[in-house]
Amino acid sequence: MNYLKFVVKEIVTEKKDIFLSVLFGFLAGITAIALFGSSGYLVSKAAFAPPLYTLAFLIAGLKLMGFARALSRYGERYFSHRATFTMLSNIRVSFFEKLEPLAPRIFQKYRSGDLLARIVGDVESLQNFFLRVFYPPIILLLVFLSTIFFVAFYSWWIAFILFAGLIVTGLVIPAWFALRQKRLESRIREARAELSTDVTEFLYGFLDLKIYQKLQGKKQRLQGASDWYITEQEREGKTAMFNHSINSMVSFTVSWLVLVVGAYFVAAQQLDGVFLAMLVMISLTMFENATPMAVLPGHWEDNRRAAARLYSVVEEEAEPSTLTEEKLPADQALSLAFQEVTFTFPGETRPTVKEVSFQLPAGSKTAIVGPSGSGKSTLMQLLLGITRSDKGDLLAGGVNLNQIEKEDLWAKSNVVLQENHFFYGTIRDNLLLANRALTDEAMKVALDRVELGHFSLDDAVYEKAENLSGGERQRLAIARAMLKGERLWLFDEPAFSVDALTEKIIYDHIFRQAKRDTLVLISHRLTGLENMDKIIVMEQGEIIETGSFDELMDKKGYFYEMKQIEKNILM
Amino acid sequence: MDDLKKLSKAHHHDRTLLFIIAFFTGVMVIGQAYLFVAAVDRVFLQGYSFLEVLPVLLGLLAVMIARAGLTYWSGRTGVQMAAKVKRDFRQSLLDKYSRNPIQASFKGQSGQKVSVMMDAVDEIDSYFSQYVPQVMQTSVVPLMVIGTAFYHHIYTGIIMLITAPFIPIFMAIIGMKTKKKSEEQMDEMAAFSGRFLDILQGLTTLKLFGRAKQQHEAIRQSSLNFRDATMEVLKIAFISSLSLEFISMLSIGIIALEVGIRLIVFESISFFTAFFVLVLAPEFYNSLRDLGSAFHTGRGSMGAAKKVADELTETEQVVEWGDTTFSHTDKPPEIELKGVGFRYKEEGFALEGINAVLSSNQQIAIVGRSGAGKTTLLHLIAGLIGPTEGRIEVDGRSLFSYEVAGWFDQLSYISQHPYLFAGTIADNIAIGANEGADRDEIERAAEKAGIQELIKSLEAGLDTQIGEAGRGLSGGEKQRVALARAFLKNPSVVLFDEPTTGLDLHTERILQASIETLAENSTVITVAHRLHTIKNADQILFLDNGKLIAQGSHNELLASTPEYWDMVASHRGGIAE
Repeated sequence: MNYLKFVVKEIVTEKKDIFLSVLFGFLAGITAIALFGSSGYLVSKAAFAPPLYTLAFLIAGLKLMGFARALSRYGERYFSHRATFTMLSNIRVSFFEKLEPLAPRIFQKYRSGDLLARIVGDVESLQNFFLRVFYPPIILLLVFLSTIFFVAFYSWWIAFILFAGLIVTGLVIPAWFALRQKRLESRIREARAELSTDVTEFLYGFLDLKIYQKLQGKKQRLQGASDWYITEQEREGKTAMFNHSINSMVSFTVSWLVLVVGAYFVAAQQLDGVFLAMLVMISLTMFENATPMAVLPGHWEDNRRAAARLYSVVEEEAEPSTLTEEKLPADQALSLAFQEVTFTFPGETRPTVKEVSFQLPAGSKTAIVGPSGSGKSTLMQLLLGITRSDKGDLLAGGVNLNQIEKEDLWAKSNVVLQENHFFYGTIRDNLLLANRALTDEAMKVALDRVELGHFSLDDAVYEKAENLSGGERQRLAIARAMLKGERLWLFDEPAFSVDALTEKIIYDHIFRQAKRDTLVLISHRLTGLENMDKIIVMEQGEIIETGSFDELMDKKGYFYEMKQIEKNILM
Repeated sequence: MDDLKKLSKAHHHDRTLLFIIAFFTGVMVIGQAYLFVAAVDRVFLQGYSFLEVLPVLLGLLAVMIARAGLTYWSGRTGVQMAAKVKRDFRQSLLDKYSRNPIQASFKGQSGQKVSVMMDAVDEIDSYFSQYVPQVMQTSVVPLMVIGTAFYHHIYTGIIMLITAPFIPIFMAIIGMKTKKKSEEQMDEMAAFSGRFLDILQGLTTLKLFGRAKQQHEAIRQSSLNFRDATMEVLKIAFISSLSLEFISMLSIGIIALEVGIRLIVFESISFFTAFFVLVLAPEFYNSLRDLGSAFHTGRGSMGAAKKVADELTETEQVVEWGDTTFSHTDKPPEIELKGVGFRYKEEGFALEGINAVLSSNQQIAIVGRSGAGKTTLLHLIAGLIGPTEGRIEVDGRSLFSYEVAGWFDQLSYISQHPYLFAGTIADNIAIGANEGADRDEIERAAEKAGIQELIKSLEAGLDTQIGEAGRGLSGGEKQRVALARAFLKNPSVVLFDEPTTGLDLHTERILQASIETLAENSTVITVAHRLHTIKNADQILFLDNGKLIAQGSHNELLASTPEYWDMVASHRGGIAE
């Protein structure tokens, strides 16, 4: 399936700019031909010593055409680039429209996290589609056909040669190159991927490689991969050069044929010699328009790939729409339940969550604890409907999560994840995300509660809040959740980078506000869990213990031992 | 820029070849014009028959094909040169990094180094594959053309000579202006183009707060603003090529006028000469103009070259090893630190004046608050970095007088986040072995490290593929694979950077038991976080702010060192046992 059709769809909406680019492109091409053609004619004519005024007239015309050509070229560049960037904007928006309903579930599928950077890069690389793939053939066709039409008045034969040249340079050669390009590209990508793995392992795994004396071997492997990659690049570079040279050779040859046929007809007195130079000059200039066709296959392949990657991401079946959409009750604490829920990440053999069942009554406070990799965070993803269980049911307020619109669930919960996003702007902008109608006072109070009272609402937040520390970001996220004021609290390691004392102060505020609400807290720290109604202990995707803090401590089981170890650890 | 110039000088063989190709290209350019004009002249004015001009025509065809062939050859040489340079650069980077990147991994710069080694090296390509060949062409072909013009019709030559400098001058002026303007626009452009990524990255947050739908307008607006900012810069670039075109056109126009007047009014030159210089003139100006666009591509490479050069000139503290054989006895070596200090360049991070004797077969714990220099000390003992002051002695001789292989053969290092390589579990364990390990040994090591159960639960067992930094294994499992490496190696010195939290109970227990097993036959030096490990240690090195402020057993330190008491007490809610 060719995903480029999506791109074309976005392109054709910019009719005016396309029209202007094509118009000016055509004018630039045709005036160049006219310019050189007429200079050939002029000099031939001059050989017969015509009256001076014809010459003056022709030279003036020549100048005019020269200026027209330069200006048209300018117009072409201007409008084609403007069109391109407008199209990029359209592509971004339309892509976002497709992606938005699928998020955040779709991010789960791509764990490597490079998805977003790739999307941005792919959209950028589509800028070549209009400039280098879409419209050069249009210009080529228009310029060639009109020139051939003109030439046909002088000689049918020469017109025919030019037409054959058009077919070869505009169609046959690009198609042939496209085939070769495809093979080369895939080898280059393979080589690059291998080198990239080796470089990453070399640098990140350096310590282990060094100690275990595998550095030399790795280095050799890396060199081998680098050589292979460079060889493939070299092959591609040479092929590109070859394509370019073949294209210009064919153009030269066609012009030469024009000269040969022209010379034959002149010698045979079937063509006026004064036109000979003109016709050859026309041919030479005309084929300059065919140069972009040599690089077209490469760009075509790049763009096809970029479009395929982009649109295959969003091609996903949309969230199966639930027929019986139920609304969650507003302003009311919700109960939550897992019934034998199992989930395995695609491509992995071991389930991350295995037959997990539990009941959390409305208004209860629950902590889910366990070592890293035990599946705690996946429980949160399942609960938020970001990840769909393979088996088993999840209930919120007694309603199956599949029958609840996710937006409704999210609207009715205060969520803090491990990584929370902040946008470029001010603290105020980022807090207002919780609720547009918040007053400055309310926001100040929330900042105080998370011990961020020293910040002003007008303080700048850079991209991804990189000017804030990890702890400050987490506290800001908690403040944002507190300001939202819904009745379901879902926290995933909200205070991972916050020191113990501050954590306790913040938790006290949260518990006060959430007194009658349902709260689920995922934590790998075992401090401050004394007041929880229930603690669920996870290991390897399974619940291995449940109970209140005291119950678990009395039982002297897994939780008790983890607690002992934690007491034992000096940070 | 200078780095690249120097480098391209170094490839003078290729440069000479490019020069020769450029010369022949010049010959072909002139020859093509000459033969073309000759053919037209003979048929059109001299009244030759077709067969009489045929040799000229065939010659013309040969010249045209040769010209295309030379273009290919020149480009090919450039591509080859680029490949050589990239190979050398990557090789130098690799050598550089393999000598001493430990400091870099301290600073979390590995990602940046990956990008230098992959992308920056790749970006250098166009300088050699495009810019250098083009410079060669431009420094030869126009000279030959202008020479020919002088020879055939001196006035054309003079006009060329006068007008030609306008092109580079104009290009430079506009280049400078664009640079200023584009720098002004750059921040704005970066902000607009970053906006899309920002929104995508924040999509989960936006959805959770029900604000995703409103973002379309923000994306559209920032994209359009980006377009406008970019167009501002591009407009200048387009106007510059417009003016260059005007210059070359005007110049060609002047040549045409001069020739035309002479041909018609004074009848002082022949049709042949007039036509010939008219065909040559565009070749002259085009060649000059092409340099401009090549220069543009070359500029991108220069930034990349600077990045690579910066990496290569970064000073390093190389560890030099000696050639004394490390005698392998049953008794683990005795390690002595004599006034050992380490400073990473001029700035901050330092250890100073560490004196300690780490006796054979002892369990040593390095303790201190985060940032005290614990891991640096471990790296020093391992010989991964060299001390900037003092010396480390092993069995009475400087550590660095030994053969490096002999020392590392005795050593296992288990870091907080062991790195798992792409490959099977068995491969990842086998990396610990000094020689090729057989399957039985690997299985035994796996068993000792408590990963047998995990392996059994996997379909492919030991041959299960892990990789991409060990995806699919939990933190505890990775630790146990690292332990298995150590068991396979059977070292006499074990260095262990104890993980802080997040391990499962099973791993915790295995770790404790394993360290005890390993300690039977070796010296174990642990950066310790667990009171259990600390209490078990024969000797504790207590670091604070890069200095060793106390050493001794747990009870000794509790009694003698208030800072130590504080650290233990603050954690245990005031009860130091």
